[in-house]
Amino acid sequence: MPGSEGTMNARVTLTDLALSGCARSARVERLRKAYFEACPEVCIERPSLVTKLHREFGLFEQARIGAWDKARVYRRTLECRKAIVWHSTARTRTGETFSFDASSPFAGSTTSKFKGVLLYPEFMALALWPELHTVSRRSANPYQLSAEDADQLNREVFPAWLDRSILESARAAAARSGKPKTEQPDFSLLQYMVFFLASKPECISHTIPSFSRAVGEGLRAVVNDARKRAATEHEPAHSFHKALAEVLEGVIQYSRKLADEAEQLAASEPDQQRRAELVELARIHRRVPEERAETLREGLTTVWMCWIACHLENPNIGLSLGRLDQLLYPLYRGDLDKGTLSIEDAVELCCCLWLKIGDHVPMVPQAGEQLFGGTGSNQAITLGGVDVEGKDAVNDLTYVMLRAIELMELRDPNLNARYMQGVNPPEYLHRLCQVNLDTRATPALHNDRAVIEALVAAGDTLEQARDYGIVGCVEPASNGRTYSHTGAILLNLTSALELALFNGRHRHTGLDRRIGIETGDPSKFQCMDDFRAAFECQVRWLADAAVNVNNALGQAHQSWYPTPILSALFEGPMEKGRDLIDGGATINSSGVTIIGLADTADSLSAIQKLVFEERQLSLVEFISAVRDDFKGQTALQARLMNPAKTPKWGNEDEVGNDSVRWLVELLNTVFSSCENYRGGRYRVGYWTMTNHAGFGRLMKASPSGRGAGENFASGFTPVSGVTPELTAVLNSVSAVPTQALRNGVAFNLKFTPHPNDPALLAAFVHTVETYFSEQGEHPGGMEIQFNVTQREDFIDAVKYPDRYPELLVRVSGYTAYFKDLTPKMQEEIINRTEYELATGAAVHPEVIHLVTTGD
Amino acid sequence: MLKQLQRWLLQLLGRMFSDAWANKLARLFSRRAVERIRVEATDDILDILLYAMEVCFCLDRSYRNDNLRAFSGIYVFTAAERPIGGTARFANGRMYVSPEAEKEFTVRVRFKNAEALRRFLFAGSPDVLNALLDDQVELDGNLNYIYKFGFMVSDLERRLGLLD
Repeated sequence: MPGSEGTMNARVTLTDLALSGCARSARVERLRKAYFEACPEVCIERPSLVTKLHREFGLFEQARIGAWDKARVYRRTLECRKAIVWHSTARTRTGETFSFDASSPFAGSTTSKFKGVLLYPEFMALALWPELHTVSRRSANPYQLSAEDADQLNREVFPAWLDRSILESARAAAARSGKPKTEQPDFSLLQYMVFFLASKPECISHTIPSFSRAVGEGLRAVVNDARKRAATEHEPAHSFHKALAEVLEGVIQYSRKLADEAEQLAASEPDQQRRAELVELARIHRRVPEERAETLREGLTTVWMCWIACHLENPNIGLSLGRLDQLLYPLYRGDLDKGTLSIEDAVELCCCLWLKIGDHVPMVPQAGEQLFGGTGSNQAITLGGVDVEGKDAVNDLTYVMLRAIELMELRDPNLNARYMQGVNPPEYLHRLCQVNLDTRATPALHNDRAVIEALVAAGDTLEQARDYGIVGCVEPASNGRTYSHTGAILLNLTSALELALFNGRHRHTGLDRRIGIETGDPSKFQCMDDFRAAFECQVRWLADAAVNVNNALGQAHQSWYPTPILSALFEGPMEKGRDLIDGGATINSSGVTIIGLADTADSLSAIQKLVFEERQLSLVEFISAVRDDFKGQTALQARLMNPAKTPKWGNEDEVGNDSVRWLVELLNTVFSSCENYRGGRYRVGYWTMTNHAGFGRLMKASPSGRGAGENFASGFTPVSGVTPELTAVLNSVSAVPTQALRNGVAFNLKFTPHPNDPALLAAFVHTVETYFSEQGEHPGGMEIQFNVTQREDFIDAVKYPDRYPELLVRVSGYTAYFKDLTPKMQEEIINRTEYELATGAAVHPEVIHLVTTGD
Repeated sequence: MLKQLQRWLLQLLGRMFSDAWANKLARLFSRRAVERIRVEATDDILDILLYAMEVCFCLDRSYRNDNLRAFSGIYVFTAAERPIGGTARFANGRMYVSPEAEKEFTVRVRFKNAEALRRFLFAGSPDVLNALLDDQVELDGNLNYIYKFGFMVSDLERRLGLLD
């Protein structure tokens, strides 16, 4: 039996950790087929009800909207929603309706559609307005939308929010503040797109709720707790606790409505087996989430009901489920011990829940496809790792959930596995690597030792840090107690470099106009320290601007978008009597992610080496070559791209490593000194989703040798094509100071698959063990994720996307279906450095160009 | 004055005919011109578009009802490189167009040239992102009104039979 450090882990009893006897059941096969066949359909249920209720309650006329106001809207919405037990029809990409047997162990859905597009007019849904007539026919990721629904959105829903979306509210509030323009947050910087993006106009969401009270006590107990507190309190805590009770009552009512509906369906169901299933569904939904869950299925149902409610309030971007294997293990074990559940049943339940969790997609307008094309809702699930005492937390349910992920190969949920070397059993790591080979892209692997160290450095207690889960893509946050908004700011670091090179000017916005601060004429810089000082000033200016905008948007959320549902499912708000948005969580933080780390580091290294160490050319000459996109300077560009001649991060080069170390420490110092609107601190991470392609497109040539418009390196990964040895890459990346990586990293590796080679798995495991291994005081690399797909398959999938509907890839953080990505992103993934695991050497096939640079 | 007379005349025609006939009239007046500016960027692109919208609003009751009910907003368009510009004001269920770029606005669109405006308005949907990414357009004010304007343009194209 697997164990660790000589102690037996009683929570692992499986003899076959791969659960190879468990396959997709007929039911799962059927549901999965329908899932892949279905085209997302825009659902207008939520926006219509929410808009109608805001009108009915007079909220559009109010200067502020409180938690109680929102709670009334959400309770009524939950009560008015159509209770759909099982969807039996969906629409294809061409708009045809098809039917299927959709009986599932879980009732209800996030939207009124089998696979729905959620709309939040309070945020960015109005961006879909111009497309209402065409979205069903657009070439990239179309959504089905009926003419009647489009008409309702145009006439009833969208007009109500013209002046009331969060971005507009924040902008108007800043204008009303009476402050001079120079002291107001500069929203125009958002418009240039090239400096930073702020996601609060779209959502906060990026966090993990706590389901422990809902599952362990039932929502009725939480309602009673809230009411008891409300009875003895003064405002504003009184209204806040009333609001918590109100929304949870709504969740209970929604579940009861599903029970009613299931009973009615059962009464007219001729098939005995289906009738029995409906009766059982009705029984479960009468009990949970109101009462505490007593079986695994009830526990999963409670999570599912709460999850639906969370998405009623919080946009479906990065809201994550946390450590479900830890939460639900006692129920699973209880069922198994009682003999009421088999392992096959448990796997089927998880498969069906994964499909439910993926029953919605985020609304991405056609224009947004360029930056976020192919993204799912990024609902992360976290498995394994250690418990709050630092002991092995891997259990049988970890393997059950892992098997379900392996069988389903879905984009959502996004699986993340924790691994504590020396505590978690090696068999567990073998299994994680095997699933990566099988699915070709999941799970992402996180080194507990490094992550916990980073979170403790950010201020979490050791116990809180040990209980971390992954948010969205790869961001760690203490499970159910850190209101983290990990994706608050996406900062293009190469813009700070640009501003330093051109003394506060940017080629994208024109060299005749100063945008940043003046940091000196580069011709006067005498040494690398002078250049670094200028760069540092621009970083501080950019960080300041981004933080000001994010905080102003946060204040707009505080005034108009409190979140009673999420607050009711979180550690802190109940005790503090304060909404999450007002700092109610136990831990408050905001996340920054950096785009262009490797390109900036390599640029700094190149300037240091060529200009200030070797004196090959002056800084002015270098800048001139960069400004001209290396026209007539091909020899210089070739030298810059040659890792034997110019330092590149990822080759264990001292200059290259030093540049990255200096950058991450600088960014950590700058951002961790900034306070957010909830009184918390900013945490910095390095994961780029698809933004390394988006920002790359905007930026002109870099001193690293990168040409204008070319992609940046993804996430926390060295630049593609300049790191020939895998071991050197692993050593360079793992050497970066962990304490400065508090908002997670996405380190992308690509391996050449050899399906019939048994040595591949061992080499895979060895690679991860090496990367995660402690080196003296250093805890090892933090995170690693893989693509293990034949290059030929990628190229074929570009030509024939319909032949590869399920080809899963790791982008930079989240998983996506390759066919849904933009050509620019497909190109970036194909051209990533690919290593032969057996030799550790990079293979260098020709670079593929799917897109003309600058397109 | 002439414009006012023209508007009255068009509204009168709109009242005299059924929706289907009013739509046919709108097509007669505007289809070819709009069809041209969808693919060809000329200096009169903004004039043609705003005129076509105005005509259609006057003639086509359902276009008016679907888009102008309780809607007010001022759109100012200016160009950096060419003498293109104008203001579209929506109020009291009507659209008013003037050739000057007024100072007061709900949203102001500053575009580089006619081609930038064409791409911005007709590239499938208002291609806000690409226009901004390429630094072809600058927006000032409430972005939601751009989305609304985008729908009105796309709805016009649909009614003129140009979307299929």
